[in-house]
Amino acid sequence: MTREEILSKKPLHVLEKIRENLERLNEKMEVMIELQKHGHKDITQPLPDTPLDVMTLLSMPDHLRKTAMTICRCGRATADEVAQQTTRARAVESAYLNQLVIMGYLKKERKGRKAYFYADRDSQG
Amino acid sequence: MGKIVAVHSYKGGTGKTLMSVNLAATFAKHGKKVCLFDLDFRAPSLFAILKVENTEFWLNDYLNGKCGVNKVLVDLSSRLGGKGNFYAALANPATEAIRDMSAKDRKWEMRALGKLLSLRNTLLGEQKFDYLVFDTSPGLQYSSINAIVTADFVVVATTGDRSDVNGTRRMLRELYNLFEKKTGLVINKVLDSTSKAKKDEMNSRIKDVYQVPLLGMVPCFCEVLRAEGNLIFTQDKPTHPFTKILDEMAKKIEANEVN
Repeated sequence: MTREEILSKKPLHVLEKIRENLERLNEKMEVMIELQKHGHKDITQPLPDTPLDVMTLLSMPDHLRKTAMTICRCGRATADEVAQQTTRARAVESAYLNQLVIMGYLKKERKGRKAYFYADRDSQG
Repeated sequence: MGKIVAVHSYKGGTGKTLMSVNLAATFAKHGKKVCLFDLDFRAPSLFAILKVENTEFWLNDYLNGKCGVNKVLVDLSSRLGGKGNFYAALANPATEAIRDMSAKDRKWEMRALGKLLSLRNTLLGEQKFDYLVFDTSPGLQYSSINAIVTADFVVVATTGDRSDVNGTRRMLRELYNLFEKKTGLVINKVLDSTSKAKKDEMNSRIKDVYQVPLLGMVPCFCEVLRAEGNLIFTQDKPTHPFTKILDEMAKKIEANEVN
């Protein structure tokens, strides 16, 4: 965004943009922290579009299974909604959800300021 | 909101189908709206027990995305004659259908899980069913684990057979626990459970071995065997001890008393 473009927008809109970008940055940092904590051991094969079937759920580490199961039950949810179900912190769920996205089990879609996570059951293949 | 109850076991021949049919019929007798699902796609049997000769759509069709779940439901309420509603969703017994279901890939199984999970919204939520009872195939395979993941409560049927005891213990530890499922154990084909002392002794031994709550003990009744799956036992023999045991089990599940 150029200086002219920024000045032509309303200040509230600019602040919204900054907040969105900060949230994205925050999510990325949470994933990095989480990956460091688990020494990358959960991500053996970061394959795109890996089916989240029950055998996969069974073989997952406990902390990720809980998050993945919640998405299976809800169909589609934000980190906030998952955190309400699992009674863990939102930041923790956000990190696990993003980790599951990297592993190819979940998809992430942004709608405005909210990020929704879901298992892609409808794609062919 | 109603509940999904899955009936599962480690080995075959433990009485899962007998339990499922009679548990579902007992719920209906208690005035509940119930649907019994045959999720044993490798050896479908409910069509024969419930004597449903033909149906336009099978449960296979719903899971294959060929129809909505309502097309699959067969209304059998008139057979029970009580105040409840009793429906069934049947697995297709044709060899071709069994072969087709055995060859599904992981992606299909994931979609099937989604279809089963969505029953919570359609049948329990919108259509106000009180209970969905899943009769599953034994052991660890996709269709039964999909059913367990979907269920709120798992009835685990077992017998005194050593291989069954060991397998069931392992399954409780390595399957139901991992999915954080509420379970209740039913010991079927119990011999010599007539005296109260014997019952109490067995009860405490079972709790030690399995570390899960006991839902019920079902003695070996010759009359049940003699019926050869030709009748819904609890419906046709309302005063038989087997019916009373099933009645108690259903009441425990209804009252959320299995802890």
